[in-house]
Amino acid sequence: MSNTNNEVLFGLYNDEVELMSAVKEAKDQHLDIMDVYTPFPVHGLDPILGLSESRLHIAGFIYGMIGTTIAFGFMTWVFTRDWPIIFGGKPYFSVPSFIPITFELTVLFACIGMVVTFYTICGMGPGVNNEVLDERITDDKFCIAFATDGMGDDEIEKLKGFFQSTGADEVNSKSLN
Amino acid sequence: MNQFTFESKEKQIFLGAIGLGVLCLILSFFMDSTPYHSRFWSNFLHNTVYFTGIGFLAIFILSAKLLAYSGWHTSFKRIWEAFSMFLIVGLVLMLVIIAGIFGHWHHLYHWADPEAVAADPIMQGKAPFLNPMVYTIFTIAIVGIWYFFAKKIRSISIAEDNEGGVLNFSFNRKMKIWGAAFLPVGGFTSAAIVWLWVMSVDAHWYSTLFAWYSTASWLVGMLALTIILLIVFKSKGYFSMVSAEHLHDLGKYLFGFSIFWTYLWFSQYMLIWYANVGEETIYFQTRIQEFPVLFYGNLVINFVLPFFILMRNDTKRKTGTLMLTSIALLFGHWLDFFQMIKPGVLHTAMESAGEHAHGFTSGFTIPGLLELGTFIGFLGLFLYYTYTRLEKAALVPQNDPYLKESIHHHV
Repeated sequence: MSNTNNEVLFGLYNDEVELMSAVKEAKDQHLDIMDVYTPFPVHGLDPILGLSESRLHIAGFIYGMIGTTIAFGFMTWVFTRDWPIIFGGKPYFSVPSFIPITFELTVLFACIGMVVTFYTICGMGPGVNNEVLDERITDDKFCIAFATDGMGDDEIEKLKGFFQSTGADEVNSKSLN
Repeated sequence: MNQFTFESKEKQIFLGAIGLGVLCLILSFFMDSTPYHSRFWSNFLHNTVYFTGIGFLAIFILSAKLLAYSGWHTSFKRIWEAFSMFLIVGLVLMLVIIAGIFGHWHHLYHWADPEAVAADPIMQGKAPFLNPMVYTIFTIAIVGIWYFFAKKIRSISIAEDNEGGVLNFSFNRKMKIWGAAFLPVGGFTSAAIVWLWVMSVDAHWYSTLFAWYSTASWLVGMLALTIILLIVFKSKGYFSMVSAEHLHDLGKYLFGFSIFWTYLWFSQYMLIWYANVGEETIYFQTRIQEFPVLFYGNLVINFVLPFFILMRNDTKRKTGTLMLTSIALLFGHWLDFFQMIKPGVLHTAMESAGEHAHGFTSGFTIPGLLELGTFIGFLGLFLYYTYTRLEKAALVPQNDPYLKESIHHHV
């Protein structure tokens, strides 16, 4: 998404139904969509755009397993090797009392790990300022964007024609750094 | 296809299953190494409780969905309405148990034995609740009330088919009022009924979490049976609007409530284990030492299996994995009720007869073939009744204002 010197041509639509049919039309015409921006998740858009399923949950599972192992391993080590104390007449290695903390750390590791991973792959984070094509795409506009680097005028005209024929409300271009 | 037909082939299959169940019940009455025909009676109680509970949870979840303005389940809600009609059959079957208490035909419940109660201060303390009269009145009144509400909601739903319209919310509002009234009634009475039917099998023991835990078990069983039936019906061409999206959401329920069940199971176990009070720990002590297959098998089937199979997105959408897990869970929660009921019944019967249980007892330590046959019989009865109820009304409520939402359901 963040190549140097990005020329972007984008059209703004008024609702998601128009957007969906426009995306379908673009796919039919084999236009290379850079990205689609919507103010809320539009159902059924992902398969049309050909986006594969997110693999974030696999990362989440691995983080969770790391949390499970650390919690269970650490408690086992503390209570059987490092500092064995008898609580309520229970054995040193008493699995039922480890389970709540193991569960908590599994959840904690999974969620913090997934948040950090998500922010990293999206290029977000504290102090990072990503340019927005148009501020209204976080409010009420639906946007299809094309990268127009090195395109000839006739190609750009063809894209503009596509926006007009599919009912775009506005067509703008912007140069992203 | 909006009209369901109960084909004669299916009728034969279910009648065959019922026949098998009756045969197994008769065999277990005579082939029994325990006193007082306890194998037969505990099988009868166990299956009746399980399937009546499935009927109750169907109307309970339907009421909760009505109150939550839920729409996605509308296309298959007739299945739950039909499930809940089984409550009347469950009541009739429970009357047999009640007759057995008054006629002293069985020793399922220690508290039903006046001599034992007279010699036992703990049971004397519980006698105002644990006695045949309360058992009878509560069973008849509570299951009767459940059936009344189920019947009412179903009749409004059917009336909507004939008189309602897709923009007419008056029937939905009426059902919502009945559903709202039913939720607190059902919630409190189901706890009382579980104490009487199941928990009082171990008459000395009690657990405040027990009602939650066994209700969660019923709920997972109910969802598993719903998924199995939906997949079977879809393969026959019914419910064409029920898509992978609906199955996905039901699969999420199955996954989520399996974990919820485990959470309650563990909460009950850990508190008793931690507090280490003799009259409480005896419950788990018996199960771990004398019924280890049940105790650990229960956790493997009902937690480990669904947790790892249904964790992924695609396994909830694929018919094969979902069907496999549902069958395992329907059986698994039947097994859960088995381990709630059987050890207590065995102990009571042996104690009353002046014997001591030792080693493997067929039909108690693990479910034998007769138990499985009885399960199939009761399942056949449940499905037979469900199918006849499904036949009585349109399969899809065409005039439900939420039907459109259900058809376009997308997760």
